[in-house]
Amino acid sequence: MTDVILVDGLTKRYGHISVLRGVNLRVTAGEVYGLLGPNGAGKSTLIHLLLGFLYPDSGRIRILGSADLETQRRFIGYVPERQRYHSFCTPREYLTFLGRCDGIPETQLRQRIDELLKLTGLTDVAHRYLRTFSRGMLQRLGIAQALLTDPDLLLIDEPTSGLDLDGQQELLLLLNNVRQRGHTVFLCTHRLAEVEYLCDRVGILANGHIALEVNVAEVRQMAGSVTVQTGPLDLPLRQRLEMIGREVTCDEQSVVINPHTPELQARVLQILIEANVPIHALEPQTSRLAQIYMRTVRGEAVDNLLVSRQPTLQVLLRDAIPPTPIDEVDPLLKRLLQRQDTNPTDQKDGSQ
Amino acid sequence: MIQHSKQVSLLSGFFLLEYLRSGRFLLELSLVIACFVVFLRPTGTPIRADYFFTVSALFGPVLAVLITSAIIGLGDRPQAYIILAHSISRGVYLISLFCAACAAVLIMYGILCLLVALFNPVAELDLIKWFLATLPLSLNIGLISILTLLLSPLILGTGWRLFVLALIALALSSNVIGGPLLNQIEEINPFLITLLRAVQTLLSGPLVPIFYGYQLSIIGNFDNASAWANLLAQGSLLLAFLGLAYYAFNRRDLIFSVS
Repeated sequence: MTDVILVDGLTKRYGHISVLRGVNLRVTAGEVYGLLGPNGAGKSTLIHLLLGFLYPDSGRIRILGSADLETQRRFIGYVPERQRYHSFCTPREYLTFLGRCDGIPETQLRQRIDELLKLTGLTDVAHRYLRTFSRGMLQRLGIAQALLTDPDLLLIDEPTSGLDLDGQQELLLLLNNVRQRGHTVFLCTHRLAEVEYLCDRVGILANGHIALEVNVAEVRQMAGSVTVQTGPLDLPLRQRLEMIGREVTCDEQSVVINPHTPELQARVLQILIEANVPIHALEPQTSRLAQIYMRTVRGEAVDNLLVSRQPTLQVLLRDAIPPTPIDEVDPLLKRLLQRQDTNPTDQKDGSQ
Repeated sequence: MIQHSKQVSLLSGFFLLEYLRSGRFLLELSLVIACFVVFLRPTGTPIRADYFFTVSALFGPVLAVLITSAIIGLGDRPQAYIILAHSISRGVYLISLFCAACAAVLIMYGILCLLVALFNPVAELDLIKWFLATLPLSLNIGLISILTLLLSPLILGTGWRLFVLALIALALSSNVIGGPLLNQIEEINPFLITLLRAVQTLLSGPLVPIFYGYQLSIIGNFDNASAWANLLAQGSLLLAFLGLAYYAFNRRDLIFSVS
């Protein structure tokens, strides 16, 4: 599979502050890759390095096989984090200007702008000045301008930052629509929901490097945790519950099942009912990705979280497919299998 | 090359439009009108060409610094990331900023000339003489603009800016170096003063075409070869500074100011 982004041993310092310390990254064609990380982890710095706005202190970046990033920018669409545009323009003027910079022929450009304004729902406001736009509208314009040249790679930085809930939902739907057009997408965010909704694979940027990469489809299959709010639990009962397994932990008035499975939940509830303990609530807690993310950012081990109770996607696929030569397998399935082979989910410290 | 030229004209036009739409041009336009009212208003007798070009030579650099700073401000914003992500190279971006600044200064100079031509025509100044005298003046405006651009945070970091400013100060420091204070130092350490004078001579070299350019536009004597040689020197200096700015801009991290 073609590498759209290949980053090897990338480091970047601002004065004495080391922001990126040996980032290794590989994003293949057609993939939607999410880069998760807390604020200040260096996500935007990485995007600016990919665009050639910043120079690395060491390491290597290749976009679509070339290290000449200034030339490769014509194959990249970029949606910045801050919605700052030239406020004295209308969307149509702005897109026309950018399209001309890209050298798109006039007739083709007009058609393309109409298409993009329709896609982003900005047709009705195409003649309004950008200074009158809401943040959500500006972010949709950001996506329109990024798609102007129909780029091979989309770099999206914190797309829902500063948007209200409606705006976030609208934008995620739009991005999902964009995703289905087949672009390779590199999405930087600190919002887990965006990653779970949009991405195929996620890398967690912590302490200046990709601390962990996981397959989102697999993580989605894994359960999160559940907290059972109960009446008072005496010590023998707590011990009995904790005997079920290390996934079950108790305090005086609650039981946490982490990671949660229906079987574990049934056993815990059965013991509580048998002991006549009142059950006040059953609260689903954080998703598995959230747990993995939090632990990775804190530098804690995540091995136990990555072990699924159910057969993994890889195993399911392998069991379902007879030993056929890989070239004869359905292309999508082949892509999935190859990805599973080349990107094991339990890599650490950014090693590829 | 053709694509780059198209991009430069497109981007320069865009910066000029932003400059107009921002309303900032009103400040410079007011200054032009103020300059006309204070120095060039009708007084009953027609003004002389050397007086007009002396006023222009003094006022031009002020306008060049003000307008270039305003246009650098428009270019040094996070909005630039999007423009640069659209097949615009750093070189094209920098040259477009410079072209937009020069064009704006020359438009303002044009307005001043128009006001003078309409309300207080210069005696014995035809279009050819005006054009010839404007040539060195325009090249100097370009030089001031590129120096302003070079000394902006967009191009050079603080340390380098201070270094270049120190060099310019040293180049312009002939009065100080010849002054009584340094004469005293010469008695204490003659080597230091010799060294300073050598550096000053070296650095003030590029100033010669600039000052001679002003002299040319005021005197208006283009009959000898040295006048044309000076125009060539001004042009070369302009290209050299532009090359220096391009080199510096190409090698630095692009971190635009957040206004």
